[in-house]
Amino acid sequence: MMEQLESKRLIFVTGKGGVGKSTVTAAIASALARRGKRVLAVETDTYSALADLLDVKLLEGAPAMVERGLWATNVRAEDALVHTIRQFVPSDRVSRAVIHNRVARVFFKAAPSVNEFSILNKVMALRDEGDSPSTRWDHIVVDLPASGHAVTFLGVPRTLNGMMRVGGFAKMAGKIASEIEDPSKVAVVAAALPEEMPVKETIELGQQLEETVRRGLTMVLLNMMHEAPFAPEREALFDRVRAGAASASTPGIEVERVMEGSALAWEWYERDLKYAKVLKDAVDCPVLELPMFYEADGASVVDRVSAYLNGERDPGGELAS
Amino acid sequence: MKTHDPIAPLLEGARLVVCCGPGGVGKTTTAAALGLRAALMGRKVIVLTIDPARRLANSLGLEELSNQPQRIDLAENLETVPESVGEGELWAMMLDQKKTLDDLVKKHAPDPGAFERAQANNIYRLLSSTLHGMQEYMALDKLHDLYTGGYFDLVVLDTPPTKNALEFLETPTRAATFFDERIIKWFIPSRRSRSLFGRVLDPGSVVQKLLKTIFGEAFVKDLSEFFETLEFLQQALQSRGEMIDYILRDEQTHFFVITSADPRRMKEALFFHEKLGELSQKAEAFVINRVIPNFEAADLEVANEARLKEFAGEDAPDEELAALSSELSKAYEALSRLARRDRDALEGLARKIGPELMQRVPMLGQDVHSIEQLLSLSGYLTPSRPVEL
Ligand SMILES: Nc1ncnc2c1ncn2[C@@H]1O[C@H](COP(=O)(O)OP(=O)(O)OP(=O)(O)O)[C@@H](O)[C@H]1O
Ligand SMILES: Nc1ncnc2c1ncn2[C@@H]1O[C@H](COP(=O)(O)OP(=O)(O)OP(=O)(O)O)[C@@H](O)[C@H]1O
Ligand SMILES: [Mg+2]
Ligand SMILES: [Mg+2]
Repeated sequence: MMEQLESKRLIFVTGKGGVGKSTVTAAIASALARRGKRVLAVETDTYSALADLLDVKLLEGAPAMVERGLWATNVRAEDALVHTIRQFVPSDRVSRAVIHNRVARVFFKAAPSVNEFSILNKVMALRDEGDSPSTRWDHIVVDLPASGHAVTFLGVPRTLNGMMRVGGFAKMAGKIASEIEDPSKVAVVAAALPEEMPVKETIELGQQLEETVRRGLTMVLLNMMHEAPFAPEREALFDRVRAGAASASTPGIEVERVMEGSALAWEWYERDLKYAKVLKDAVDCPVLELPMFYEADGASVVDRVSAYLNGERDPGGELAS
Repeated sequence: MKTHDPIAPLLEGARLVVCCGPGGVGKTTTAAALGLRAALMGRKVIVLTIDPARRLANSLGLEELSNQPQRIDLAENLETVPESVGEGELWAMMLDQKKTLDDLVKKHAPDPGAFERAQANNIYRLLSSTLHGMQEYMALDKLHDLYTGGYFDLVVLDTPPTKNALEFLETPTRAATFFDERIIKWFIPSRRSRSLFGRVLDPGSVVQKLLKTIFGEAFVKDLSEFFETLEFLQQALQSRGEMIDYILRDEQTHFFVITSADPRRMKEALFFHEKLGELSQKAEAFVINRVIPNFEAADLEVANEARLKEFAGEDAPDEELAALSSELSKAYEALSRLARRDRDALEGLARKIGPELMQRVPMLGQDVHSIEQLLSLSGYLTPSRPVEL
């Protein structure tokens, strides 16, 4: 499955809130780095998740090194805007002066999509920088904002291009738009959960992507698939034990809790199976299931997902650890 | 002993409850559950969602919601409707931002042609359908109508995830800036001094020239036209913005932060809490949703193979029981790790904000998409008011 991503230099990760976008972004980046690539993980939020997930201190204005082959950075809207304006004015100083101008500031804050465009433009510039293999990014993996907005986010260059029609900016927007619209150059990966609404929304995301940027999803990572708490052939036996415990006069709180927890885990397992099928039947891109890892901290989850992406299966590992 | 319940008393007297918090934790579900609770307390409630996704309809067990308030028939959806409902009603609506903006323009247009002119403008078309940013403002506008309309006792407002919700709180002032008089002046030539001297001295013309260089003549022209066409909206928006600011600061307005026990989401919730403080607002309840119940690994010492055998009955095959027992141990031990993580996170939050404000809702085995499920979920939100059927 990684082969699909290895052939793209730009990988956008999207999905609803809380489904694991940041985890998946960090894990894809680290998995690629462990395959010997030079990789940059990018987030665009003001609230930094990558710092926690990759256990690194992000630097102002420059990528921070995480481990061999892996860097991370936060592209802030304001810096991206300076960078974009810079392409039309003679120097960095003038560019800063423009965006700090009281009037222009209000304009940039209020004008629709200028920030989103600048961020995309900056990401493209990061991709194009570096002229030797040792300074060039093999892959840039971008953690996009939650999906209701991701479609509009990726559609911004085309929208602006249509709105401006002529001029340097329109040309720039048009160029970026056609790159995003090219599935052989840019990967759009959706993270999703095997639950009813997230699955529905992922299906819709794929359709909206077709409508807005005329391309589909590269793949869906179906995250946090729960394992069954017991082998399916023992379901009847479990039910029998549970019924017996329920009718016992004093089963004890411990027994009640174990029964309740196991029943809950079984419900998750069944639900996950059901919605995984719904998703697979509805989308025409590959769907990769990622297991639920019972780790207490986000960075350990990233490690596990990264290893999993690279094919290191560890049967029972998520339960044993 | 009095049941710990920070939410019920607030629901009784609130006119507006704003549910905010990080992504995917259950804000929409909670907003719907709170609305249902309040309706069962006899209030006329509307739940308004500005989430672009369709989750509210789903958690209410509906196929779709429109831009118009839609009444949820409780009698049809619940096996028995509690007595306490009295005059209470539950309504819901989802924001359609394009319709809302159109309505707003129509309402304030000085002449019938103004709406057509607006619709013909590129910027308007994109702004009202494709581009976000105006959405939060449009939501506040709807909120304003519902709040002041007189029919509803309580509006429950569901918001998109953290970052956007913050934007949304800042929106009243931001919308005013968008239509700021000063900006309009720079874009509308007729309002500017036409003398050469004036043009050189006018910082606006410099800015406009620069923006033209960067964004192209056509865009700047569209933008000027846009401001010109919608100039009449400015006054309306500005006064509404102030009004909404006023509503958000009202004593009967309460902010609830919804979060899960996930440590990172907790951090975001706290960040939100602080941000609310900076905007001179305050979170009056924290709902911690999807908490893994108190499963403890030590329980397995008691719930051992021998006990399972006892419950399964003598004729259960030994080998199968041994296998089941070992599988359950592994799975339960993993689950208990998450439970412990949630417990630690909850304790951490309690130290920071105090346990009085917190209410926890357990993780269920299924998604919530019927009124019945919503009713059972909502029991955890207001435990001091159990529903009597
Ligand atoms: N496969 C997994 N197994 C176990 N836990 C996971 C897995 N993937 C993600 N998580 C956990 O789920 C939580 C949410 O993940 P993450 O922060 O990556 O989501 P997100 O989509 O980026 O959220 P947001 O919308 O807030 O940015 C984190 O606590 C993360 O550790
Ligand atoms: N206590 C719970 N137990 C199990 N599932 C729940 C619980 N609360 C909510 N859910 C489910 O979690 C999912 C997310 O809920 P919801 O849509 O309300 O979150 P949200 O915070 O509004 O998300 P977003 O930030 O994307 O708007 C839904 O599928 C819902 O059914
Ligand atoms: Mg994230
Ligand atoms: Mg929601």
